[in-house]
Amino acid sequence: MPIGATPATKPVTIKQKAILNFGLFFLFLFFYLGAALLQTPALKHIAGLTTLGMPFGLLMSLLIFPVSWIIIIIWFLKAK
Amino acid sequence: MTNASALPIAAAAAASSTQLNTAIVVGFILFFVVASIVITWWTSRSSKSASDFYVAGKGVPWIQVGIAMVGSYLSAASFLGCAGDIGVFGIDSIWLSIGFFGGYMAVLLLIAGPLRNVGSYTVAGALHARFPDNRIKLAVMACTVVISTFYLVPQMLGAGLLFEMLLGWNFVWVTIILGVLMSIYIIFGGMKATLYNQVIQALFLWVAMVVLVVIAYFTVGHGSFAGILATAQQTVPPLLAAKNPAVVDAIKGLPADAAIATARQIMPAAESVMSIGVKTNSTLAMISTVIALVFGTAGLPHILIMFFTVPSARAAKKSVTLCIAALGIFYLCAIILGFLLYPAIYPKLVSWIAQGATGVGLAKNMAVLEISQMVGGPWLMAIGAAGAVAAVLSTSAGLMITVASSISHDLYKVYINPKASEKQELNIAKVTTLLMSAIAVILALALKKENIAWLVMLAFSIAASAIFPAMLATLWWKRTTRQGVIASILTGLVVSVLFIIMLLTGVKNDPLFGLPTAGGPGVFGVTASFLVLLLTSLATKDTGKDAAGFLATAHKPDVD
Repeated sequence: MPIGATPATKPVTIKQKAILNFGLFFLFLFFYLGAALLQTPALKHIAGLTTLGMPFGLLMSLLIFPVSWIIIIIWFLKAK
Repeated sequence: MTNASALPIAAAAAASSTQLNTAIVVGFILFFVVASIVITWWTSRSSKSASDFYVAGKGVPWIQVGIAMVGSYLSAASFLGCAGDIGVFGIDSIWLSIGFFGGYMAVLLLIAGPLRNVGSYTVAGALHARFPDNRIKLAVMACTVVISTFYLVPQMLGAGLLFEMLLGWNFVWVTIILGVLMSIYIIFGGMKATLYNQVIQALFLWVAMVVLVVIAYFTVGHGSFAGILATAQQTVPPLLAAKNPAVVDAIKGLPADAAIATARQIMPAAESVMSIGVKTNSTLAMISTVIALVFGTAGLPHILIMFFTVPSARAAKKSVTLCIAALGIFYLCAIILGFLLYPAIYPKLVSWIAQGATGVGLAKNMAVLEISQMVGGPWLMAIGAAGAVAAVLSTSAGLMITVASSISHDLYKVYINPKASEKQELNIAKVTTLLMSAIAVILALALKKENIAWLVMLAFSIAASAIFPAMLATLWWKRTTRQGVIASILTGLVVSVLFIIMLLTGVKNDPLFGLPTAGGPGVFGVTASFLVLLLTSLATKDTGKDAAGFLATAHKPDVD
C-alpha cells in the first residue's frame, strides 16, 4: 500500500480534516434531525406556525436542500 | 348528436387512445432496451480485463460518474413513490424525498475521498487494506449480497407492477425479461456498459421529472406555490377520505377542485394533507427512518464502488457534489409534484385507495403517471413510464454488478479458488449475475404484496447498520481494531436482518420489546453497531498492520 504523506505532517492534516469534515457533517445532521423532529406529532404545534407563507415545519424541511448546498460550498472552499 | 350515438364513438375513441398510449409507452421502453444493447455491444469491445469489468479501468471522468451515480440512486421508489406517497398520506411523506437526498452528505463529507484513496474493486477491499483478514472480506461480502438483494427485489417488483398496472402485462414475464436484459448488459459490457447506460437513463428520468413538474406547476398549480399550499390546507387526506363511503360516492366524476371542496364539506373536522401525523405517529419511528436513510446511503455497496471508477479522490468528491446538486433538484421536484397531485387527480386518488390495500399501491405507484397523462397527454405519460423503467434498469444494473464483483473477488478468489485466473474470476462474476437475476425474480414474486418504498428502506437500514459504522471508523479512527470492525459488521447485520424477518412475518405494526417498529431497524441497528465497535475496539489492540500509514494514504492531499 503506498504511503501518501510524511509521518511528521500527517497527524495534523488528518486532525484538521476530521474537524472540518465532521464539524460540517454534524452541522448538517443537527439541522436535518431537527427538521425531521419538527415534522413529528410531538412538535406539530410549532411546525404548524405560519412562516414566510408556509408552515414552519415545511419551511425547515425544504431549507435542507439549500443548507446542504451551502455546506458543500463551504467545504470545498475550506478544504482547498 | 344523441347520447346513444355518442357512447360508441366515445368508447371507440377511448380504445383508440389506449392503443396509442400503449404504442407510445412500448416505443419509449424499446428505445431504452435497444440503446442498452447497442451501448453494451460498443463497450464490450474495450472491456477486457478484470479492472475494466469491475471498475471500468478506474479512468472514468467525474462528470460521467456523477451522472451515473444519480441514475444508480434514483430507483422507481424515487421516481414514482416519493410523489405518490405524498399523494396518499400528505405532508408526512415529504421526508421520504428529503431522507433519500440527505444520505449523500455523509457520503461526500465522510466517505468518498478516503475510500477512493484506499479501495480497489470492492467495499470489502477498502477494509481489507487496513485489516488484511479474509473474515472481513467474507462478512462484507455477506452484507453486500443481503443489502443488494433487498434493494434489487423492489426494483424488479416495481417494474413488474408498473407494467401490470399500466399495460396489463404479465407480472412474471416482465420481471423475467427485465432480469435477462440486466444480465446481458452486465455480462457483456461490465462496469463500462453499466455506467454508460446509467448516464443515459439518469439524464432521461431527471429531465422527465423536471419537465413534468414545470408543466404541472403552471397548469394545475397555476404558477403559484402559495396557491398549491392553500389547496393542500383544504384537502382531506385521500387515505382518510377513501374510508368514508359518502365522500367516495359524492366526488365520483367531479373535477379535482370541486371534489376537494365536497370532501371537506362532508368531513369538516378531518385533518388536512398538511396535518402532521396522518402517516407517522411515532417520533422514534420517524427518527429511525431518517437515520436509516442518512447513514444507509453511505453504506450502500453499489454506490460506494462507483468511487473506484474515477481517477482520484478529488474526482470522487466532484462526482458526489454533482450528484447531490442533481438529486436536490430532483427530490424538490418530487415534493412539489406530490402536492400538485391534489388539484390534479384528487378524485382518482380517493377512488384508488377506496379499493383497499391494492388500491393504495395503485395510488402510490400510478399517481405520477396519471398526472403526466393529465397535464401532457399520452406522450408525457409515456415519457413518465419510460422514466420509471429507466430508473429500474439503472439501479438494478448497479446492484447486480456490485454483487457479482463481491462474490467473484471476495468469496471465490479468496476462499474457493485463490489461484483463479482473471478469466475464471470474470466467469464467476458473470454466472453470479445470472444467479442474482433468478433470485431477484423469485423473491419479487414472493414479496409482490410488500410496499416497494418500505423494502428499499429496509435495504438502507441494513447498510446503515452493517457497513457504515465499520467503514467510517476504519477510514477515520486510528484506534479502530480488527475485532471491533468484525463485531460491528456482524452486529449490524444480525440486528437489522432479525428485525426485518420479524417485521416481514407479521409484527410490522406492533411494538417489539416495547419499541415502535414502524420506522424499521435503522436506529436500533446503527446504535448497536456503533456501540459494539466502540467497546470492542477499546477492549482490543489490533489496529491493523500499519494504521498510521493507512490513514495517511486515505487522507493524502487531493490531486486531479
